[in-house]
Amino acid sequence: MLINNGFNEDKIQSPLRYIWSIFKSKSIAVVAMWVIVFLVLVSLFASWLVPHSPLLQDPNKMLLPPYWVDGGSIDHVLGTDDLGRDTLSRLFHGIQYTLGGALLITLFVSIIGMTIGAGAALTKGLKASVLHHLLDALLAIPSLLSALILITFFGPSYINCLFAIALSLLPQFIRASYLAIEQELNKQYIVALQLDGAAKTRLFKYGILPNILEPTITILNRLFTMAIIEIATLGFLGFGAQLPQTELGSLIANNMELIYLSPWLVAFPGLAIFITIIIVNVFAEGLRHAVIEGEE
Amino acid sequence: MALLDIRNLSIDIETAQGKIRVIDKATLNIVDGSIHGLIGESGSGKTLIAKAILGLHSSNWTVTADRMFLDKTDLTKLSQKERREILGTEISVIFQEPSSYLDPSQKIRTQIESVLPKKTWEQRFRPILSKIKRVTVPSRRLQIKELLHKVGIQNDVAVLKSFPHQLSEGVCQKVMIAMAIANNPRLIIADEPTTAMESVTQSQIYRLLYKLNQLNNTTLLMLSNNFANTSSISDYMTLVYCGQTVESGSYKQIMGSAMHPYTQAMLKTMINNEDINEHKAQLYTLPGNIPSSNQLPIGCRLGPRCPKAQKICVKNPTLTILKGHSFRCHYPSKLS
Amino acid sequence: MLSFLIRRLNLLLITAFILTILAFAIDRTILIHHQTQPIVQQDYILQYFSYLWQIFSADLGHSALDQQPLLQRGLTFFASTLELCFVALLFSCIIAIPLGLLAGLFRNTKLDYAIMTVAIIGLALPVFWVGVMAVLLPSVWGDILPVDGNMSLVYDIPVVTGFLLIDTLFVTPQYGLFAFFDRVAHLILPAAVLSFFLIAEIVRLTRHSMTMVMRSNYIQTAYAKGFSRTKIVFKHALNNALPPIIPQLRLQLSTILSFAMTIEIVFNLNGIGTWLFNSLKTGDYHALPAGMLIITGFILMFSIAIEITMVIISPIRRGSLYADK
Repeated sequence: MLINNGFNEDKIQSPLRYIWSIFKSKSIAVVAMWVIVFLVLVSLFASWLVPHSPLLQDPNKMLLPPYWVDGGSIDHVLGTDDLGRDTLSRLFHGIQYTLGGALLITLFVSIIGMTIGAGAALTKGLKASVLHHLLDALLAIPSLLSALILITFFGPSYINCLFAIALSLLPQFIRASYLAIEQELNKQYIVALQLDGAAKTRLFKYGILPNILEPTITILNRLFTMAIIEIATLGFLGFGAQLPQTELGSLIANNMELIYLSPWLVAFPGLAIFITIIIVNVFAEGLRHAVIEGEE
Repeated sequence: MALLDIRNLSIDIETAQGKIRVIDKATLNIVDGSIHGLIGESGSGKTLIAKAILGLHSSNWTVTADRMFLDKTDLTKLSQKERREILGTEISVIFQEPSSYLDPSQKIRTQIESVLPKKTWEQRFRPILSKIKRVTVPSRRLQIKELLHKVGIQNDVAVLKSFPHQLSEGVCQKVMIAMAIANNPRLIIADEPTTAMESVTQSQIYRLLYKLNQLNNTTLLMLSNNFANTSSISDYMTLVYCGQTVESGSYKQIMGSAMHPYTQAMLKTMINNEDINEHKAQLYTLPGNIPSSNQLPIGCRLGPRCPKAQKICVKNPTLTILKGHSFRCHYPSKLS
Repeated sequence: MLSFLIRRLNLLLITAFILTILAFAIDRTILIHHQTQPIVQQDYILQYFSYLWQIFSADLGHSALDQQPLLQRGLTFFASTLELCFVALLFSCIIAIPLGLLAGLFRNTKLDYAIMTVAIIGLALPVFWVGVMAVLLPSVWGDILPVDGNMSLVYDIPVVTGFLLIDTLFVTPQYGLFAFFDRVAHLILPAAVLSFFLIAEIVRLTRHSMTMVMRSNYIQTAYAKGFSRTKIVFKHALNNALPPIIPQLRLQLSTILSFAMTIEIVFNLNGIGTWLFNSLKTGDYHALPAGMLIITGFILMFSIAIEITMVIISPIRRGSLYADK
């Protein structure tokens, strides 16, 4: 036995650490991650971060363009709307509603959906069959339609809109997680765990859960994207956040009449939604590639 | 005489842990018309050598060789297109799990037809010609039927109509062999052709390959991890351990006078009925494990496990050739 | 094959059953909530069966506003939606499938990254916002493509099949082909907006499928047989890569319809989206269960049609016919 370890052995890292080190090496994904952190902070602390209150109307400064066009001022970086309200502040508040709402929906749907999906995948028999059929039926309803139905009953408001979207995205998530778990269940190591005498919950927690990381990232990403788009769409159609709540979709809808006077007012909220979704997608893709590489 | 002459083939692969030299100065010398067994454990690099010969490697491999000659054509100096032509006509390959190596969306007939040489003019006008001339031109269907009979498939009509997933592994392998011999190649590379089958089918396939070698004088390069089976039909053998070719020679030379400790260990693992006399005796193995690819030993890679290893074994041993029997070892010795 | 069909129909019936229960529940809840009609105090199960009977006799109720049968109006609007979806799908397939194939073949090269960037952008664009931007276009570029309504009101088209693209071909003696071109012109912008999302989806699916196929063993065999790369792609890879995309797309169908409805509302097309939206805004709530039944009925039938197509096309699926669930 050698006393001095002359061999330069790499420490074999645990898979999660290895995945993290691969992820760190992709610069775009890390940038995306920091932007997401920034956005989440904005959505949490919007009220303290904005230069002006989003509801403050300033009749002297109506319809200002952004500061890089003639007539704009640094005071209102992205311009103002027809009542003199600062666009940037309204955007930040809008992010709070849209992004924050989407995060809440994602959390809610993912926890409940994963539980139900796992329950359906791990049990057999009548219960699973019934669930399967119910799921098929619910999946045939487009998300906009089910959101409309639920809003009709409960009335248009922001909370109801979140609730409706969560319920309409739930079947898709359940199905996706069911399929992912089903794929894992067919593999041999699950049989090995069962032969070891693992109960169903233990099987799930230690056997399946660590190995469905990659599909989970994909479906969570999709869920989040759909949630943001749905919240904005419902806001745009007038079924979501009502005035004076500033949600990005309803911002666009309210500023539609001004589209010829100041197209910035319609462009910026849309761009905000667009950029948020892209950033989240880039982050998720980076994470997914890191997981795939790390598992090889 | 030598159909395939490879000297000092080295393959470096870029992985997440850096550049790893997976094949280290491999030497292979295949005599025309013989059956050559390339034997090594799983993961020892046999498939990599075969792929490097064929040129099927992916772009993150670096292949270097002193010589890589296929009977006077230098394989390293060929362009892609020329390489492809050789693949179609001079060298053919048979793979391991045949049903996954056949296109699942096409019938067998379509797949066999795609490897046959193009229809000659005579064949195209066969209906007309057969009425005019007295000479009979074999139709395509007859050609395929003969091909399938050659490999031992009797009910060719049923096989031709089916898809790969409807056939058993043995029949799929025979179809693959049929496709391989369709163009009368000079060299057939069989990459563990029978590993995924049960023993009855295995012996059928071995017999078929042996017959092909005897009748058509096709050279056969058999890659395998089964020393006993492969050595029974090979004329020459090369053993590979961990990317290094440790010993190479004819059947008599290796079985009778193996020089390298690895070969000797392999011979000892072969079960023959005379030697085992104790009930529940422990079977012989070389102690230790195959090293993982990011911790390959320097020099002779058998070093950590070899019973005869000394300090000098951290240097790569040189190739010694005695009357066609070549080996790389610092301490070769005859098995007594 | 027959037993497979029967089994599939069984599942379809059960799902349809559940959906009718849902529609019934919605209908009754609307009655209770909005008191549009006097409530009949009967046993709910009896009410359900009478509702079911109503559906079978093709009567989904009447609009509270103008007392017209809901089913006919719903179907006409839905035909318009289907036209939009179909045109967008055709257009997207033509563009996206070659792009996806290229991305799969040249994986991890600059071409692949460029195409994937396009795909990510397509997925991220909020559909209604792009629609709004598209409505802006005439003011910027001039009045090239119309952005309002289904067709110019000049033409008077009788409703034969409900599909305006086909109906406009019936009135050729009157208007020549102008009606048809007008319809096509009105369809271009909405279809383009819908195809952003569709192109992104199809490119991703094709690329994934192509990569899986190119890595598989039989492609290795094809290389070993000495085929050139082009030949391999066209003969072996395409046949195996394209069929799995179709069921994946089917799963997206409800999302596609959802986006189509949004686009209709933005562009003011006469589709089922605008119909439902306007009904809700004006208080004609009974349109909702009717619309739901039409849309979900279509989705179910389409799913069955796709499954039957898959069984016909792909020989492997036929093998799994008898080993189902």
